[in-house]
Amino acid sequence: MLLILFVALVGSCIVPLVARIMGKGAGLVVALFPFGLLGAFIALAPVIERGWVRSESWRWAPSLGLDVTLRLDGFSFLFCLLITAIGGLVTIYSGGYLTNRSRPDRSRFLTLILLFMTAMLGSVLADNMLVLIVFWEATSVLSFLLIGFDGRSARARRAAIMALQVTAGGGLALVAATVMIGHVLGSYSLSGAIDRAPEILASPLAAPIIIGILIAAFTKSAQFPFHFWLPNAMQAPTPASSYLHSATMVKLGIYLLARFEPLVAGIWWGRTVLITVACITMLIAATQALRAESFKAALAYSTIASLGILVLLVGLDGPAATVAMIGFLLAHALYKAALFFCAGSVLHSTGLGSLRALGGLRKSLPLTALACTGASLSMAGIPPFLGFISKEFLFEAQLESSWELIPLAIAVLVNAVMVGVAAVITLKPFFLKADHPIEIEHPESLSVAVPPLLLSLAGLVISLEPDWITRVAIRPAVAAVYRQPVKVDVAVWHGLTPMLALSAVVVAIGFVIVRYWRPIHLRLRRQGGFERFGIERMWERLLRTLLRASAALTRLVEHGDLRRYLATTIGVIAALVIATWWRIGAAPRIVIGDRPMLGDILVTLTGVAGALAAARAKNLLTAMVAVGLTGFAVAITFMTNGAPDLAITQFAVEALIVVLLTALLLIVPLSVKSTRSGSQRRTDGIIAASFGMVMFVTLLDMAAVQNATPAADWFGQMSYIAGQGHNVVNVILVDFRGFDTLGETAVIAIAALLAGSLLGVRPGKRDGDDAGQPVHYSFAAASGPLFVLLLVASIVILWRGHDQPGGGFVGGLAAALAFAILSLARGVRSAERTLRAQPSTLVGAGLVLAIVSGLPGMMGGQAFMTQLWTEPYGWVPKLSTTISFDLGVYMVVVGAVLAFLFGLQREAAR
Amino acid sequence: MNVLYAAAVAAIMAAAIYMILSRNLVRIMLGLALLSTGANLLLFTAGDFSNRQPPIIAPGQDRLGDAADPLAQALILTAIVIGFALTVVLATVVLRAWRATGSLDARTVEATEQPDAPELLDPDNG
Repeated sequence: MLLILFVALVGSCIVPLVARIMGKGAGLVVALFPFGLLGAFIALAPVIERGWVRSESWRWAPSLGLDVTLRLDGFSFLFCLLITAIGGLVTIYSGGYLTNRSRPDRSRFLTLILLFMTAMLGSVLADNMLVLIVFWEATSVLSFLLIGFDGRSARARRAAIMALQVTAGGGLALVAATVMIGHVLGSYSLSGAIDRAPEILASPLAAPIIIGILIAAFTKSAQFPFHFWLPNAMQAPTPASSYLHSATMVKLGIYLLARFEPLVAGIWWGRTVLITVACITMLIAATQALRAESFKAALAYSTIASLGILVLLVGLDGPAATVAMIGFLLAHALYKAALFFCAGSVLHSTGLGSLRALGGLRKSLPLTALACTGASLSMAGIPPFLGFISKEFLFEAQLESSWELIPLAIAVLVNAVMVGVAAVITLKPFFLKADHPIEIEHPESLSVAVPPLLLSLAGLVISLEPDWITRVAIRPAVAAVYRQPVKVDVAVWHGLTPMLALSAVVVAIGFVIVRYWRPIHLRLRRQGGFERFGIERMWERLLRTLLRASAALTRLVEHGDLRRYLATTIGVIAALVIATWWRIGAAPRIVIGDRPMLGDILVTLTGVAGALAAARAKNLLTAMVAVGLTGFAVAITFMTNGAPDLAITQFAVEALIVVLLTALLLIVPLSVKSTRSGSQRRTDGIIAASFGMVMFVTLLDMAAVQNATPAADWFGQMSYIAGQGHNVVNVILVDFRGFDTLGETAVIAIAALLAGSLLGVRPGKRDGDDAGQPVHYSFAAASGPLFVLLLVASIVILWRGHDQPGGGFVGGLAAALAFAILSLARGVRSAERTLRAQPSTLVGAGLVLAIVSGLPGMMGGQAFMTQLWTEPYGWVPKLSTTISFDLGVYMVVVGAVLAFLFGLQREAAR
Repeated sequence: MNVLYAAAVAAIMAAAIYMILSRNLVRIMLGLALLSTGANLLLFTAGDFSNRQPPIIAPGQDRLGDAADPLAQALILTAIVIGFALTVVLATVVLRAWRATGSLDARTVEATEQPDAPELLDPDNG
């Protein structure tokens, strides 16, 4: 079966390409493929006949519980036969029906039909429910594509979207139910879930699981209140309507319900819901079927009514209900597909869809008329057609079940309407005279006439010669659904029974309906309430409300004001932290610690003063200087607290920020009017103050549990022994955590790339026009020596970094500072000339160097970035791969800073 | 000591947040620079800073004696450089915004990238 499914999938994609090459007759060739699959299934018949089950499994993603498990039992087998047989006929029919379409269109249509067939086969064969869901949703998506096949028609698009919303939405309910079943049982097996239904029923999730299954089934099988998508789906080309929306896809919901019947029936309201929904659906659909104007619409509503009967039969208890369900499923698939074919032929030949306009087509479409008569007789339940037998089963099931008479009365009424509709759709187009003469656009061809004829004939042959199909399909299917063998007696004549009497009543009422169809129809049409109070209208209103609400929500949340975004984020974070403290109720631990020295206090106060001044500054230059002040104060704090590395890095950074931001501030206006109102400032002040308070308390609490981390201790112990360096900070950066540093370096390199694209540095496009602003001559004179000094210092810092404060980052910043001075004093171009290379080249080379430094260690069989050492005796300094790494970092930093510096200064000079 | 630095960090960060909440792009950028300075000081304070000795192994020794926390310093060192890169990238973005819109107001910059009108999907027109 895995093989069959795989062949079906691949074949569906390849075989329809025939229609691109062949014109006429492509349908016949392509049809060989589904018929071949039908043959493959019939070859499995002996297995099914004995009541055996065939399973195949392929491990797909075991960690997710996702195995492609297929299981073929009698019920699946019946579906497989229907899917492939009707699929073949649909393919033939499509070949004759789509004659006015281009070849690529025909090929596309056949591909979709065959893919749909594959998805259907997968749905009914799947035992793993996750696999079932995949195929289930695939049928919804393919149905969407087929309804919207004529994508230029707005009505087709609307119908397609509606069908997708309803059926795929129902599929989500199935997903939810499946997940819950998996949660309860620990397995996703469909047969396992049915076997262990009592376990599910005992769990608290029973009701949600059953509701999910019901929603999935009701949406797919167009039951009230989800029935409205099916009549709209008639926008699809008729072969697709016939295949998807009457014979197979809409039966998937019935399939699911029948499978889960033990579960649904196990809850006290299960059967009641099924029967109530079925009865409502049947009544609405029967009324609408009489009211429908077009051939296809009448068929669509009668299909909904039939689906209602099937749901009713699932809801009824007793073996007879199961027999009736299987019998009706088969009979309905045969006659309804045939009727859709006939409706399509009429539409294709005349271009007319309205029943009232049609008439007298018997002469021009004789074979279609014959097929329609046969199928209608079956639908009306006239002996000896299969429809009659299935109706007998239906009444038998109702009489035997323990239910009240109301469903029976409704069933009689609905069946009478079916008789009426069946008669009307046959008599009106084919046998009664038309009001206006009808022009035939396309004469009847064999490929559109033979498929319905075959189906009608099948309805007759099966009832007269029922042995084979009863043995291989009906009896095993009933056994599979009822879960024990049931005696099935398919015969036209059962003697004089109450069922026969009911059938007679049905036919009698049916005749009355036919006689008075026109007045009933016109009267119903005049009633506007169907549209005004229809579920469809409510659905659309719901959707529109949803869209409007989401638009309003989007406008509320996505207001586009940066300040409000940030204020919300920061405010919420602060509020959350405060709320958590409140909930925990523990006071923060505060350890005052040792008294700070006066110097510390002064430096810290300077930093705070800078920050407050920056916040209050009206002028942007003042703000920048104030921010710089804080930076320098923090640098001094670092220095006095045993962090010389940090201190020099911070100093270099602050100096560079001044240089870089000055280039920016030269361009933009320095004093701008406030962008916040007074109350906004107050709000911001409150948010900022509460955030600061949260930080204050948090930090105090953190400091109270001050202890040296084991990691820090370990680095201190191992720095020299394993890393050969005296400066522990540097050893951590280049050796122990070298890989992290490589990442940081890459970030800086990426920032440099960003500068290149934002500032538009184009190599070689610059002219020597930028002498720069005139600077004081003393600065100009000092810049040369300063440049050399700083450059040399940067190299020293880089070199000694491993043992003394310094390293690649600081060295790079110092070197960049050297070039910054040069470009300030003599202009960008001069600085660029001195550099001799593009900054981006420097960045790239540096990155390569840093990465390469990790390779020698790797070649020695150790991890990437394992640093190697050689410490020769004598005057030669120790050599290592860390030097190369640090040099790489140095180059990246220099390149990145200069890329920004040159770009900004050029931009400023523009 | 703790209280002093905690208060300083809180004050610097509060001032930074206040600046960030402005709609002037340069002010936001400066606020972020200030915030990263505050964050660095926070990390430093959160580490063990009771000892003022730099974490450098004395010549002739092979293990670190009593010294400041080297791990926090290594973290902060990269943070300083990344913060610097961030500020500079922001500076170029601000510059671009200024060149493109002639305004430093975040609302103006935001308005230029909004589509003309939010279109409501109408189910009737499919």
